[in-house]
Amino acid sequence: MTEKRSRIQFLVRGDEGDGYRVREVASTVAYLQNRPQRVAEEQWELAPLATRARGPRMYVLKNRVRERYVQLNERERFLWERMDGRTSLQELGTAYVLEFGAFDFELIPGLIAKLRQAELLTMRPASRLREVLAKNRTNPAARAAEAALRALERLNVASHGAHDRFVTAYRYGAFVLFTPWAVLVLAVLTVLGARGAVVLWHEGDRISAGLAQNPFVAIVLVKIFFWLTVISHQIVHALALVHYGRRVREFGFAFLHGFVPTFYADVTDIFLGSRRARIVTAVSGPLVHLFLAALYCWVASLVGPGLLQGFMAASAMLQIQSLFVSLYPFCFMEMDGYHLMVDLLGTPMLSHESVHFVHRRLFRRLRERRGFSRREWGYLAYYFLSLISVVAFVLGTIWVIVHAVVG
Amino acid sequence: MPATRADLEFLRGIVLFKDVTDADLEALWPFLTQRKLRKGEILIREGDVGREMFFLRAGEVIISKHVKGRVEQVLARMGPGDFFGEMGLFDRQPRSATIQADTDVVVLELDGDNLEQLVARSPRAASAFFYQMVRVFIQRLRDSTSLVAEVTRWGLEATGLDVEHT
Repeated sequence: MTEKRSRIQFLVRGDEGDGYRVREVASTVAYLQNRPQRVAEEQWELAPLATRARGPRMYVLKNRVRERYVQLNERERFLWERMDGRTSLQELGTAYVLEFGAFDFELIPGLIAKLRQAELLTMRPASRLREVLAKNRTNPAARAAEAALRALERLNVASHGAHDRFVTAYRYGAFVLFTPWAVLVLAVLTVLGARGAVVLWHEGDRISAGLAQNPFVAIVLVKIFFWLTVISHQIVHALALVHYGRRVREFGFAFLHGFVPTFYADVTDIFLGSRRARIVTAVSGPLVHLFLAALYCWVASLVGPGLLQGFMAASAMLQIQSLFVSLYPFCFMEMDGYHLMVDLLGTPMLSHESVHFVHRRLFRRLRERRGFSRREWGYLAYYFLSLISVVAFVLGTIWVIVHAVVG
Repeated sequence: MPATRADLEFLRGIVLFKDVTDADLEALWPFLTQRKLRKGEILIREGDVGREMFFLRAGEVIISKHVKGRVEQVLARMGPGDFFGEMGLFDRQPRSATIQADTDVVVLELDGDNLEQLVARSPRAASAFFYQMVRVFIQRLRDSTSLVAEVTRWGLEATGLDVEHT
């Protein structure tokens, strides 16, 4: 059963203060009288989304101050252009019906929520983890976790002037990465690496023995090289931005969600670029892992048994794993593969909206026995594929550890 | 004028006099002043100073509080047997809300001085009177708390604000 909408009674006096009338106003009526006000003109930018994909035309709306982006379809753009603080939601709805001939009751609330999240109307979103912790502040553990995350989030080393350095690096050689020659080298190296991997596959025991000779040195080396790879991944993303004439807003180190140490490049400006630019930028980072994995496998297959071969083989495995993680879209984390997928599907907030749909609306919809729209099937598919993937990853990891200990 | 049977019946129906004896009610009656109001007439205006409380004998009143401009929020409606204005008896502060007749109305007025005389004359009746008044205060406090929550809900629904996700 749906909750009854709240009502308030108002007493409105006449001009002379003598007569009066009592008016009962439902919250829904008040909602329709809202006049959404977008941020000042100079704080936002709207551009068509360059794409060759078939389907309706899409737009990118950018909050210039907050550096936040939302994707709008033609109908949402129509509504956005009328959110001038003078037009009520009721008037917006009327204009919408006149323009498109029908009304979608979830469109306006959904759009407003999206715009608020991007601070194009008001409010600022927090991370989901922080929301959960904030809700449970009475719990000492949640309070301690929140304080720890807040402290870690302050450890953010960022450079807002990195763009010029990337431009310089691009001009003095990095541009080569975006030429056909680089693609050719990568292809050749991938073949050599695959051949090397086949050779190494039969020498598993020798490789393990090589690593076991100096386990501490091996672990430290692998870790250091892996972190260098993470930086390289982000640098190549940033160079791709420069290649397409967009701006690298920020480059630095931070604790993602307060606990995942990571390097990052703010590549959001690419959303205003062409579709090809977005795809190349997204793929360029993971290709660093492919390049290094192939290089390590090839070299490992050439050198003799020992620490170097073990280190190369272990690093190659880590790179292959990173390549997979970067490109795999179904894991609730918004990695490169996720961005590629949502770009193709035209659903920029798929992860957030899927979680919201399953947690807040799915059971109500099932009770109402109403069918799902195509978009909602997409939410369900993303959510449950991600859930299965995460569970499989956790179980797989446990199996590997148990197998290693028992074995 | 002494109280008629109908007058005593009316007083007995008021929760404040639930445990007061008939003799005390008869003694109280001369202290009450009957007033008639036409529909729309204001009995108490928010911000005015007054030291009277009222028992509504007939009709209906609206209690409202100023919000903005010519707009007031309706806090409650009251009918026969209800009482109001009692806060002025105790705190001597300006009236917190406006009370206006929404129909033709008959009220009985009891001022602070007369209440003090009643207390002096019959402490037992006064004790029963104040005990019931405290109970009504508690109920009205609960109602106020619910109203605050309801107004907050109204505000959230009216603005479409998704507090859970902001």
